[in-house]
Amino acid sequence: MASIASRILRALRGESDRADQPLARGRIAAIILAVLILASLPVVSSYIFLVVTSFANTIVFTPFIEFAVNWTVDNYVKFFQGKLSPAAGQVYSTTDIVMFIVNTLIVALGVTLVVLITSVPAGYAISRIGFRGRGALMKLLILLHAFPGVALIIAVYFIYIYMRSPLFQAFEYMASKGLLTDEVLASFDIAYSFFFVIVARASLEIPMSIWLMKGFFDKVPWEFEWAAIVDGASRFTAFRKAVLPLVKPGIAALAIFAFLAGWEDLIYVFVFLPQMTLATFIHNQLSGGSLETTYLPIVAAAATLYLLPTILFFVITQRLLLEAASGGFKG
Amino acid sequence: MKLRYSKKTTTLFFLAPALLLVFFFYLLPVVLTIWISFTNLYNWRIDLAFQFIGLENYRNLIHFIMNDPDVSKVAKTTIAFTAMTLVVNVLGGLILAILTFLLEEKISLTFRLLWLLPRMTPIAVFGLLWYYFFYGSEHGTFNSILLKLGLIEEPISWGTEPSLQPWASWLIIVYVNGLVGVSFGMIIFYSVFKSIPRELLIAAQVDGASTLHIVRHILIPMARWHLVFVTVWQLLSLLTTYPHLFVLVEWGVVDKDYGTTWALYVFLTAFSRTVNYQALAAAAAVFLVIIGIILGLVILRIMRFEEMIQPVRGDL
Repeated sequence: MASIASRILRALRGESDRADQPLARGRIAAIILAVLILASLPVVSSYIFLVVTSFANTIVFTPFIEFAVNWTVDNYVKFFQGKLSPAAGQVYSTTDIVMFIVNTLIVALGVTLVVLITSVPAGYAISRIGFRGRGALMKLLILLHAFPGVALIIAVYFIYIYMRSPLFQAFEYMASKGLLTDEVLASFDIAYSFFFVIVARASLEIPMSIWLMKGFFDKVPWEFEWAAIVDGASRFTAFRKAVLPLVKPGIAALAIFAFLAGWEDLIYVFVFLPQMTLATFIHNQLSGGSLETTYLPIVAAAATLYLLPTILFFVITQRLLLEAASGGFKG
Repeated sequence: MKLRYSKKTTTLFFLAPALLLVFFFYLLPVVLTIWISFTNLYNWRIDLAFQFIGLENYRNLIHFIMNDPDVSKVAKTTIAFTAMTLVVNVLGGLILAILTFLLEEKISLTFRLLWLLPRMTPIAVFGLLWYYFFYGSEHGTFNSILLKLGLIEEPISWGTEPSLQPWASWLIIVYVNGLVGVSFGMIIFYSVFKSIPRELLIAAQVDGASTLHIVRHILIPMARWHLVFVTVWQLLSLLTTYPHLFVLVEWGVVDKDYGTTWALYVFLTAFSRTVNYQALAAAAAVFLVIIGIILGLVILRIMRFEEMIQPVRGDL
């Protein structure tokens, strides 16, 4: 922080290094900075207020606190105890709450895995192999990237239930023959929902991810693979041994991006997953019927916890995120 | 040289997993959406997905837009929301890119990241921020500031107070979605500016060009083509995405009709009403599919895509 402040001061005085001089200096830089700070203020302060509220016994979403506030960590304790308001008793058990977090993690990690398995090889193929229809596939991917898959969710849900019934009849039949216990049958139900929500949500990320991976593969000099192939390696071995290690940063970026996509999702888990995640937990607390009894500071504590991994990855991967967010479009 | 596996096998091996998902979650659903729109499917009674009723759903839809006050509100909201947010996202993105480009890298990076944060924030959390921000008591940011300034006497529930609709709801959804959407333009335009040779800009300054000159005569003309690209891209996503609107509407931050666009109407009709009428929703979604394909093709044209397809290095 100190270095940013001193840089701001230097910039205002017009003292930056000649080589890397900003285009605006002195008064103009000051005005620009003021405009940016002013425009960012509502956003920044709302994030801060969220964290502040999570440590208070009432909503504190204002700098003008003209009401009584007790500062406390109770919201976090109560959240983990499943006591969602001071008045109400135990709404969930601690296990339930931990499961909400675990469920969110399962979806996020699942999405990451599926995105990696599908996009990394596909990106490689498009970057390196001149197959027939390559141009058409690239076009299709751009088209799908622009086309938001959320608009297709009705049909995707149709597939979800259409595939479910024969699958379950098969499992039920096996259970009736004593091949499966009822408990295993019940866990198939859960596994199916998780599997589906993960694959469906990952699909939304795939067009952009393939495109991104292609960009990373394009940067790897072809000689590396060539050497391996001349030495008698198959294309697969060359891919695995010679190329993959060189695109590790790209894979890491993609993994983080996919994780955040799975982590932040609300719509897909709301539709496909009977188990609750942090997103559907917050949604349940605030929508319709339950609002009367909802204790908002505890929701703020849950939301703060939910936000933590996002912020963490955000800080770690700054530049990569800025690049990836443009969907790999350069200029 | 001789390869162990044929090119076809190799290609298929690398592409199969991705193609499988593209088929099941894009291509098949497009066909199914059109299929369902001609049936009588409601409340997910799968047997009804094979009961065709012709164009009935489309007829109903048009009838609703004309005669059902709620649906015509949705239609109006779609137009107002898309138009306003489009301007905010494109111009806001351009302004942010220009301002951050003019500043020193370290400060610039901080602001660019900051404006990317809403896009990366979980939807439920981002919705919650604005739920509290517009909260109808002196605990909410907006009301507390207006109270402090003496502009209002009593806290107001901005999004739901009937006398303030539709504009209060519209402005809230435009603002919240603008905060998320503006970073797309910012990133694209910024990367365009970054591609301008530094010497050129310094030379212009040495020759006496003011910052304003540089913005008007170098930066904005450079971004002209991308301005079209960002506009079409944003138009497409504003017309077809709805997750942030979903929480604002369902949590009562805004009016349920004046906060609902066509895309959200599709979703709510299929999933979130007491009687869920999927066939009608699918008919409504077909419009989105058509818009998506047309605008997608326009985007390909704008990107001059043919020129981007370069021959591969490493083809055997």
